[in-house]
Amino acid sequence: MGGLSSADTIRLLLAITLMLGFGRLLGELFRKFKQAAVVGEIIAGIILGPTILGLLFPELQQWIFPVEGPVSIAINSLVALSIIFLLLVVGLEVDLGIVLQQGKAALSIGLIGMIVPFIFGASFAYLLPDVLFFEMGDKLIFSLFVGTALAISALPIIARTLMDLNLFKSKTGMTIMAAAMFNDLVGWIAFSVILGLVGAESHGLSIEWTISLTIIFTIFMLFFGRKLIHQILPWINSTFSWPGGIISFMMVLALIGAIITEKIGVHSIFGAFIIGVAIGDSVHLTEKTKEIIHQFITNIFAPLFFVSIGLKVNFIQAFDPLAVIIVVVLGFAGKVIGCGLGAKLMGFKLKDSLAVGFAMNARGVLEIVLGIIALEFGLIGEEFFVAIIILVLLSSVLSSPLVSYFAKESRSYSILELLLPKNIYFSSAETKDQVIRELVKLVCKKEQIDEPKLLEAVLKREEQMTTGIANHLAIPHAKFDVAKPVCAVAINKNGVDFDAPDKLPAKIIFLLITPTDKNELQLQLLSEIAVKFRNKEFAEDLLNVSKPDEFLMKIKQLNS
Amino acid sequence: MPYKRLGLAITFSPTGKNLLIEAARLKKLFNAELILLHVGEKSEESEDRLKNLIDDCSISGVEITWAKGDPAKAILNFEKKKSIDLMIAGALEKEKPIKYYIGSVARKIMRSSNCSVLIIPARSGSFGYYKRFFVTTDFSQRSSETMKKAYEFAKLENAEKFVLIREINIPGLAFSVDDTGSTRNAEMIKKEWEIEEKIKLNIFLSEMNIQNTEAVETVCVYGKSGWAATSFAKENDADIFVVSAPVKTPKFFDRVFTHDFEYTIKQIHSPLLIIKS
Repeated sequence: MGGLSSADTIRLLLAITLMLGFGRLLGELFRKFKQAAVVGEIIAGIILGPTILGLLFPELQQWIFPVEGPVSIAINSLVALSIIFLLLVVGLEVDLGIVLQQGKAALSIGLIGMIVPFIFGASFAYLLPDVLFFEMGDKLIFSLFVGTALAISALPIIARTLMDLNLFKSKTGMTIMAAAMFNDLVGWIAFSVILGLVGAESHGLSIEWTISLTIIFTIFMLFFGRKLIHQILPWINSTFSWPGGIISFMMVLALIGAIITEKIGVHSIFGAFIIGVAIGDSVHLTEKTKEIIHQFITNIFAPLFFVSIGLKVNFIQAFDPLAVIIVVVLGFAGKVIGCGLGAKLMGFKLKDSLAVGFAMNARGVLEIVLGIIALEFGLIGEEFFVAIIILVLLSSVLSSPLVSYFAKESRSYSILELLLPKNIYFSSAETKDQVIRELVKLVCKKEQIDEPKLLEAVLKREEQMTTGIANHLAIPHAKFDVAKPVCAVAINKNGVDFDAPDKLPAKIIFLLITPTDKNELQLQLLSEIAVKFRNKEFAEDLLNVSKPDEFLMKIKQLNS
Repeated sequence: MPYKRLGLAITFSPTGKNLLIEAARLKKLFNAELILLHVGEKSEESEDRLKNLIDDCSISGVEITWAKGDPAKAILNFEKKKSIDLMIAGALEKEKPIKYYIGSVARKIMRSSNCSVLIIPARSGSFGYYKRFFVTTDFSQRSSETMKKAYEFAKLENAEKFVLIREINIPGLAFSVDDTGSTRNAEMIKKEWEIEEKIKLNIFLSEMNIQNTEAVETVCVYGKSGWAATSFAKENDADIFVVSAPVKTPKFFDRVFTHDFEYTIKQIHSPLLIIKS
């Protein structure tokens, strides 16, 4: 009779309890400090594994997490299942429509951003394989793997960085997202082909067959399977319970995909990933369903996988400073140069290109999955694996601050940059007309603009419809023949009537002049000001300032 | 008047007749010229049939042109040659178990026309006065032209409802939710953005220099771009849905990996006006 003995069952349950409990605990702790939960979970594994627990209490560690025997097999199976589901949700977020929507820029960043790090990694590994602990097997395949490992970005980390920095609304943010999605897809296909090359014999299929079948499977799923799923989803949604029905459907499909690709001779997870892409594309998969499956997988399955990494490898023993430095340098340089170049070629400004480069440099889950599979296949040694994990940790932790630095510098014409102390003054005007004249005079003196014409333009706009907004704010504005936007502010504590919808007199009056041909820029700046004044208390508080600098500071503080 | 030269691709079918009546109504509404195109063999018999059809609908003062060959190509040619500014065509549809099938000719016209296009699905209720206008915007110069045209149209129709839709979408939101650990957070981010976009919508509207902006409703919907606004219009029983023509003609991959405009033309439930500026 098969199955685990009662004692083994207890050990297994104990192991899972520790992995899940401790992993999630550290994950939550890292969240508290605004770091990715993944980092905490990996560290939990390192603590539970041979690196720390094994060093202090080797016997205890071996008893709970044995390397061989039925308990070990059971844990490994669970971890394998976890990776399959993890890749399913990663695939869900890849939206090829968005890649096409963003067009050439996304393709250029995605593609050049893969080729450059790939060449860096592959050529280094081919020329100096010993430094990266190449031991046996095919040097070419090893080099291809090193190249791919450095070329894949982490979509989840990138999505989070963009969200944290509030960049997802911008054109640059969308392009980065699209490029990352493209990168993911191409990266996984490339990696699967390499695995096909490695594992061909053990699966009984020739290399040519494995590769052809992989390509056929991919094309079939992306073109026809995707459409088919799209047709079936409404039926699933209406026939079965929600969200139970749809979640089971997705998981079963992912498993089928996994079986197919495993049979073909590439890894099972590739199938799950492609199934994820195919399902995630459908508009019938609601955001709510996505969130539910994400919660469920990232809080149960993902921690098991991330903790298991630390259980497999002794991080202190396998730590090789030289390999770590090389991998980190090659990884950073390859990604930042590659993606930056891709962006620059598409007409991005230098600072923007660097922001794109550092955002795309973020690595995460996928890199780790890649590494662990390569480790299991005997493609790489533990030293190189540890170097990859460190690259992942460093690049994901650094991503947010670096992107923030470059993106802030480059963000074109935020109202905060347009506001200069010399253009802010205290007004005692009594009428709307008077205050507009003062403001126009102020900007014309400082910026050398034709005063009568500008005044005419502003007043004409005012005639069409009042620019009084609400909460004591008014923004008289006009499009005019200027090279870049100009802004001035009058602070009028008594208030003048601007005929605002809320009937409050205007006390803070912005004059905004934007270039004639820039429709969207005008809208962006106007709304940026209006959004800041959503809160009436804030507007009233602003009136207490006594110096232009103070005014500026308060507005800037609101931003953070 | 929003349009001066209307074109209509006409066929001998019940739908064809309805379309003709509708085109004649718009001709009158816009005080425009109407030019008909029939793709098919020009024979005495077909000429008679066409004449009868026109008489049946008691329309006068229309110009008739004939063309042979591929209907889509003929229509695109006709638009150019006759400098049509609004092409009217029916969307041939068969009811399939799951979804409506839009004729390939109509789709080609929607994708490649050089002028504005009004596509009318052949369904009872699709013809006649448009009282509920739904317009989608991305705040571009192009879409403000679209908005102006649509508004002019709506005024002529004495429309009861005019809704301006803005779509927002955060790809990868589910990921970020994991890492920040709560769905509430995602909801907050969405809400916050929605408020910002609402403010933008109102400013966009006030810059339009149209009268009675109070009559325009603004709404912000979350979802994939193209799909979200189209479904919103459908769910709210739009009489006519107005979009801007895409900047670039959709290609093969755009059709396979549907996005934006393609979502709109793949699910036509009410007349669709595609405005080219």
